[in-house]
Amino acid sequence: MKFNRFYFLITVIFLVYLILVGRLFYLQIIKGQYYAEISNRNYIKIFESNPPRGKIYDRNGVLLAYDVPTFDLIAFPYIVKENYKIEDLKVILKNLFEIDLDEKNQNIIKKNLLPKITLKKNLNQKDVENFYNYSYMLKGFYLEVVPKRVYTPEANYLPHIIGYVGYPTKEEVEKNPDITLSTLVGKSGIEKIYDHILRGKAGQKAVLVDAFGRQKKILWEKDPQKGNDIYLSIDIRLQKIIYETFKSSGHKSGAVVIVDPNSYQILAALSYPTYDLQKFYEGLKLEEWQALTGDKYTPLVDKVFSGRYPPGSIYKPLVSIAALEEGVITPETRILSGSEFSIGKYKYRNWNKAGCGYINVAQALEMSCDTFYYQVGLKLGVDDIYKYTKLFGIGEKLNPEIEKKVAIVPNREWKKKVLKQPWFHGDTVNLSIGQGYLSITPFDATKIVVPIVNGGKVLKPQIIKGYYDNKKQMFVSLNPEVIRVIKMKKWNLDTVRYGMYLVVYGPQGTAKALKSVPVKNAGKTGTAQVYTYLTRQKKHSKWDLRDHAWFISFAPYEDPKLAGVVFVEHGESGGGVAAPLMANILKRAFKEGVVDVK
Amino acid sequence: MKELIFEKLKKIDVIVFFIALFLIIFSIFNIYSASYHEFSNLYIKQIIFAVFSFFIILTTTFLFDYRWLSSVSFYLYGLGIFLLVLVKFIGTTILGAKRWINLGFFQLQPSEVMKSIMIFFSANYISSSKLPLSFKDFLKLMLFSSIPFVLIYTQPDLGSGIMLLLPVFAMVFLAGFKLRYIIGFALVLVLISPLVWTHLKDYQKNRIIAILNPEADPKGTAYHIIQSKIAIGSGMLTGKGYLQGSQSKYYFLPEQHTDFIFATIGEEWGFVVSFLLVSLYLVLSLRIFFIGRQLKDMFGKFICYGVASLIAFQSFINIAMNLAIAPVVGVPLPFLSYGGTALIMFSFLIGLVLNISYINSKQSFQLYTENIGDY
Repeated sequence: MKFNRFYFLITVIFLVYLILVGRLFYLQIIKGQYYAEISNRNYIKIFESNPPRGKIYDRNGVLLAYDVPTFDLIAFPYIVKENYKIEDLKVILKNLFEIDLDEKNQNIIKKNLLPKITLKKNLNQKDVENFYNYSYMLKGFYLEVVPKRVYTPEANYLPHIIGYVGYPTKEEVEKNPDITLSTLVGKSGIEKIYDHILRGKAGQKAVLVDAFGRQKKILWEKDPQKGNDIYLSIDIRLQKIIYETFKSSGHKSGAVVIVDPNSYQILAALSYPTYDLQKFYEGLKLEEWQALTGDKYTPLVDKVFSGRYPPGSIYKPLVSIAALEEGVITPETRILSGSEFSIGKYKYRNWNKAGCGYINVAQALEMSCDTFYYQVGLKLGVDDIYKYTKLFGIGEKLNPEIEKKVAIVPNREWKKKVLKQPWFHGDTVNLSIGQGYLSITPFDATKIVVPIVNGGKVLKPQIIKGYYDNKKQMFVSLNPEVIRVIKMKKWNLDTVRYGMYLVVYGPQGTAKALKSVPVKNAGKTGTAQVYTYLTRQKKHSKWDLRDHAWFISFAPYEDPKLAGVVFVEHGESGGGVAAPLMANILKRAFKEGVVDVK
Repeated sequence: MKELIFEKLKKIDVIVFFIALFLIIFSIFNIYSASYHEFSNLYIKQIIFAVFSFFIILTTTFLFDYRWLSSVSFYLYGLGIFLLVLVKFIGTTILGAKRWINLGFFQLQPSEVMKSIMIFFSANYISSSKLPLSFKDFLKLMLFSSIPFVLIYTQPDLGSGIMLLLPVFAMVFLAGFKLRYIIGFALVLVLISPLVWTHLKDYQKNRIIAILNPEADPKGTAYHIIQSKIAIGSGMLTGKGYLQGSQSKYYFLPEQHTDFIFATIGEEWGFVVSFLLVSLYLVLSLRIFFIGRQLKDMFGKFICYGVASLIAFQSFINIAMNLAIAPVVGVPLPFLSYGGTALIMFSFLIGLVLNISYINSKQSFQLYTENIGDY
């Protein structure tokens, strides 16, 4: 057939149009759903609005932490790029907001590397006013509301307890669908433990935007829900007294805990030294950070819940209970307790070289007589001491949310496993006076007192009194939670309590400083050896070689409302340092009527 | 009188007439949709142009004789060149291009006028030459075409320049110009294309690069292409509905009432209507080709070939550009894109085709297709 130009051209045109139809079919039918989704994303933008976080109050409603809104200046690089020359932009930002546009941000804008950038955080009043006054010439800029956490000066008495907030990591966001990268979440302390109560629900706004990011119409809006306010069990007045007392004592490091023995609510908990919570949250300068982390008194460590120290003699009331309950001794049993005690070639000294004579258990507590406990402890054996220690909850996280670390309580298995050695009698002797391998947290120390004063109840410790549930519009309070009751005979308990009374009021008591407290009270001193006797001979010149000073306490003696622990790290003497500190705390607390536990 | 008009109407080609009429009316709706959210009155202007175009079609069809163009085509060519030169001096600059002459009530775009003139001029030149076209005649015609091409290309308006040349090439091809010359010419074009590339403006290069890899620079040149693809694709089978196109309504799609009107249509009307529209352009152009093929009069025949290929190629390039398979060159969609000069010129060309078929049918020509060979 002859080549026909006309039909050739017609065919070419026809084929070319077939390509158009094919392409149309591909885009609209085959890939239609795909483009429809892109198109939706293109013009509907979801804006998240951060909810205000719940406030934190002390038990009486003293404000400790709250939220304020702040503004960040944000820019969309691709819009900015289209509307300004970099030189003009630099002048505008400098004049209106005192921003020096750095190389990095210039580059991001020029190359449109990011969808949005933050040009300035936490705008001041003048910046915000300038933004509104000149908004007509600010294309591609907007203000983002960012909640900021404010901690009141009172919060600085307990920074470790309150903790701080920050932005979540990517992993946290993936795990928790309720938060976004811009949600403030608790990072430690109360802020973290009760984050689910404090954190509200983010609001969402679906906005129709044009290609320039301008909002055209709000499609739907979900208001953010404010987080619930939490009321700590802490009494900030008591906390303040403790802080001031500790500070004026001149000691550098330690912990004080006061709890209500009937509910096991924590009324005060000081880890000393403290730090400025607000500064810590807003960001420290490098020198400040280095000063905090390099400080040998470890301000960042929460000594109440994570410091582990040998308890020394404050452990004796527990050993006493064990011995009495197991029938090793009766309240009347008198034992000759001399200046030292020997097993084979090993000699174990009494802290008072004069010895104690024939004494019963109450007197042994009064004098803190080591040789008495060596003998009782040996008769009792490590297994029973271990059993009672565990019964009291020492070494057990009674409230895993707030107890970060708990005691290491040694026994035969522990020693075999950790030290690959059998248990010796000498170990039992050491354990009887709270020395050796035993190490407890200051909070564990409250576990010795609480069951003794409340009749054997092991309760779940609480750090909050309750919270205000915004949804139900009611206050949800936390009731005391009994974990178990240790069966103990009343007269055994009375004996131990009386022994602790004698510590304060007895003729040979080791904590006479407490006599000055206006209400009858009781306690037990403890001086825990940090290094061996020989090392200590080098004299207590170096701070970190000195003994730890302990005092556990309860008051009033007849109807205890408080149970407390004072721990002074390397404080040298329980009777000489820790007890007077507790005395000063209780004196002020009762004088100022702070103890109003209901 | 009424009877007379009816009689006359019966004699014109109804397919061409009604497709053109439909496209003109459809354009008003779509320009309204593409621009009403900007509170613009573009669609009112388009209505005025549409009414005017309709009269142009009717008057050109019935009160005109296309053969007159044959005698004035050289002067018209001169007038077109004059306007193109004039635009260099007194032209209005819009978006960096000097393409318009402000007549107060109307922005005249000489390149659109020149496209039509080039068709009469070539048709006249070919029909008065000995066919098949000699190489010398071909070169002369190329010379005549290259003058307006260069003037338009430097406006700059590469798209209109190409659209000026393509119908001429089609006419030359159908005029039986030796195939080996055409192939040789094409080879020369290929050989000099690197040279052309180096002379292209950066934005023109970017547009060509963009079509090869649009995702590489989504906010830059390829932005149009991506947004157009999204707009059309998201229309799916039946579209988002008239006035419901989100891509176009929220400014994602630039130049949506001019070069990208097809994307708006694809988004709002979906595959069914888009397919129909593409088919209408094909049918319109093929119909005009066949009208030309039936004619014995060489001048009329080549005018038809020119008009048909202009409609075919320009529609194809515009739609292909909307579908992201051709580079973004400023080529409006015939009848549908906003723009007065283009609409008036296309209406005139349609009127001319109708006039050609009307006059030739009035004289009740026999069909001599076999005798006149391939031309």
